[in-house]
Amino acid sequence: MNPVVSVLFVGGVLGIGAYVVAVLDRAFGPVSRGPRDWFVWPIRRAAFLAVQRRTETERPDAEAWILAPALLAALAAAGLTAVPVTPSLAVADVSAGVVLFGAAMIIVMVAVFLQGWSPNSLFPLIGAYRFAAMALSFGIPFSLVVLTTAIPAESLSVGAIVASQEGLWNVVRQPLGLPVYLVTGAAVAFWGPFRIPEGTDLAGGAVLEASGSARAVWRIARAGVLVTLSVMGAAIFLGGHLGPVLPGWAWTALKTLVLLAVFVWSGHAFARMRVERFVWFGWVVLLPVALVDVFASGILAL
Amino acid sequence: MGGLGAALVVLLAAGLAALVARWLSSVLEPTTLTVPERVPFTGGMPPQVHAWNRFHIRYYVMALLFLAFDMEMVFMYPWAVVFVEEGIVALVEMLMFILILVVGMVYTWRERGFQWA
Amino acid sequence: MGLRGWLGRLAVGVEVPVFPVVGGGAREAIQDLRLRPELELVDSPRHAAVMLVVGAFPPGDVDGLAQVHDQLAPPRRTVRWGGEPVASLPDAVVVDGGEDAVVAAITETFAELMSDPDRGEPPILPDVDPVEWRGVGPYGQGGMGMTGGTPYGRPMAERGPARDGLELDRVPITIGPWLPTLPPGLRLDVVFQGDVLQEVEVGPAPIVPGEGSDLFVRALTEPVPIAEMELARARHHLRLLAEILRVEDLAVASRRALRLVHGIRPGATGEVERLAAALVRAGLYALALRGVGRLDRPPPGPAARATGVAVDARSDDPEYRKLGFEPVTVEGGDAAARVRLLLAETVQALELAAKAGPARAGGRGVVEAPRGRLEVGEPPPERTLLDLAPEVLVGQEWGDAVTIIHTLDLDVEAAGREIPV
Repeated sequence: MNPVVSVLFVGGVLGIGAYVVAVLDRAFGPVSRGPRDWFVWPIRRAAFLAVQRRTETERPDAEAWILAPALLAALAAAGLTAVPVTPSLAVADVSAGVVLFGAAMIIVMVAVFLQGWSPNSLFPLIGAYRFAAMALSFGIPFSLVVLTTAIPAESLSVGAIVASQEGLWNVVRQPLGLPVYLVTGAAVAFWGPFRIPEGTDLAGGAVLEASGSARAVWRIARAGVLVTLSVMGAAIFLGGHLGPVLPGWAWTALKTLVLLAVFVWSGHAFARMRVERFVWFGWVVLLPVALVDVFASGILAL
Repeated sequence: MGGLGAALVVLLAAGLAALVARWLSSVLEPTTLTVPERVPFTGGMPPQVHAWNRFHIRYYVMALLFLAFDMEMVFMYPWAVVFVEEGIVALVEMLMFILILVVGMVYTWRERGFQWA
Repeated sequence: MGLRGWLGRLAVGVEVPVFPVVGGGAREAIQDLRLRPELELVDSPRHAAVMLVVGAFPPGDVDGLAQVHDQLAPPRRTVRWGGEPVASLPDAVVVDGGEDAVVAAITETFAELMSDPDRGEPPILPDVDPVEWRGVGPYGQGGMGMTGGTPYGRPMAERGPARDGLELDRVPITIGPWLPTLPPGLRLDVVFQGDVLQEVEVGPAPIVPGEGSDLFVRALTEPVPIAEMELARARHHLRLLAEILRVEDLAVASRRALRLVHGIRPGATGEVERLAAALVRAGLYALALRGVGRLDRPPPGPAARATGVAVDARSDDPEYRKLGFEPVTVEGGDAAARVRLLLAETVQALELAAKAGPARAGGRGVVEAPRGRLEVGEPPPERTLLDLAPEVLVGQEWGDAVTIIHTLDLDVEAAGREIPV
């Protein structure tokens, strides 16, 4: 694909996706002012953050403070390129697409750590180290369940993984995969019960010192990560663009929307997890389940 | 242009777009902040020391365990591709490898490596 | 200005991000504001446009108030609701009157601010670097500390021994008194090592205690209607629950609990029981509370009843015994047990209120207040709990410490009150 078209395409998907996340977040959230407000609120909110001045702290790590939100946005975009939206339309359906996506999602840890580290302020710093603990705990199960979808396809290309689900979607073939993916995915985007680095106990944590456009970019980038996770989840577990009657892109969009709705809903449905509890959960629950998923799917694929 | 090249272009473009969006608000109205406006917030009182410190990462045992499993992930990517071709041999080999690592995980758990407060 | 004016007009419809600064006697008023759809009460001044100052403060400059004002991202305005103007905040918009009046004043102030950001308040504190930053060399180069010198007069943290035998940095820091995450006025002087508290001291609260509800104090000397006392207890418990749910990031359930405060009737326990079931489904206990802040020998009151000990001043009251009162207890002694007890006691209080009719109890010099045993000549239960805080909080991860502070129901303001004899 032409580079300019690629950039516009990914930007468009992430932009629309981030808006949908904001609308859903308002719809599921605690404040209810009617359906019209769901659609208007994200725009008003963005306008406020554009008017509000951007602050910075004394002696920040200035470069990291500027780059952290940009890195988060860049990772969301890079992860998205590996997914074919229709059989023929993929920005970079490379032979190691799963690796590209996995790498982008794991490096989110660096972006969040920098965001918390750079302002030289106590609560963001604690948030940063909390996310490091989380990322080390969800990293392996997250990668494992994504990798498992490659076993029946005999390829790490996302296009091949989608094609391998022609007869049966992975959500049925590997029943443990999607639940683990959703839980660890929400943790990648530090969303909902996994808002651990940005919890109320830290008064906002990693994002405490961010205001105005810096905060807006950080929020949009995080929504972008959720979108990328949903598009990928739709592709590797729900058969991506496969489906009757409707064109391929419509199926991708529909399945993505379902996963996005699950993600956003979970954000308001659960209490924030303690960080220690999450570390325990990641290693003692998620990891064994993910390993069972790998080997059970392996035996089934033989 | 190869696929990875396209991914790289998109990565850079998205990062750049975020930087521009962030910078736009200072074009709208430039601000310079005074010293008290830049004090980090901890509830009203100014901090006595800078926040950066040799942070006590109490989960270091878990971090070491992660390294072991992360190395295993490197092997698993090619393994997943050739798995169906190699059949039961690949399954048993990887199972043995993983089981050894899982013993390490269980030991860390028993030694309370997953809790620190 | 075209673009900015247009953005400002768009922004006016959003909930006004308000940073609350809560003095004495305003805890409930500020909590009720969280239900208003026009406002969003935020946790960090960097996220706010309006600083709302409520309640009673000591005369003269108030610790940290001007500092928080300057930490609000510009454009910012201050609104003072009720009470005397505060000396530290000269430019505040002063509002008297009820909740509607203050909401109207805040939205109007915000609209002005958005249409013309130049009307925001300038910083209050002088723009002076406390310590001129320079190194030792003739060109300001070299020296110790952070790339030479001590920027802003703040040194780097020093190392000290940790409990696991390592030597790592100890970060001394003051948290509060204006951190919305903590109960109003609570100031903690702590030392962090990593994310764990090594030393904790409760600092002086720069607020003037408000009047407080005198219902239970009155019951020390004269009989008051049981129904009234039990409804007050239920309301108190639900307000505390709403606060706990807020810091555990369950905003939807927190609002639900807060709405219940205003909607409770004697005997109407169904809604509370449904909320309790919803909290289990939301994973409040499993994800956030279980095993946190286990107490061995807490002072008499709800914290003790959450360890399975049936200490309750109501057990000795003949009027309560006539109603068949038995203290509710929960086993466990951790934060989860305390929240379970809170819900069980709310249900019990509503049932008692329905059963009691016009019956009155009191005048025995001792009464079971919502936070524990209130006795003539003894310190209030709030003070006992606050004195317990340092010991309980040391060694806790910060998030767990916040959970403990709220589930123990620490209240600086009430701890400062004397029981009139």
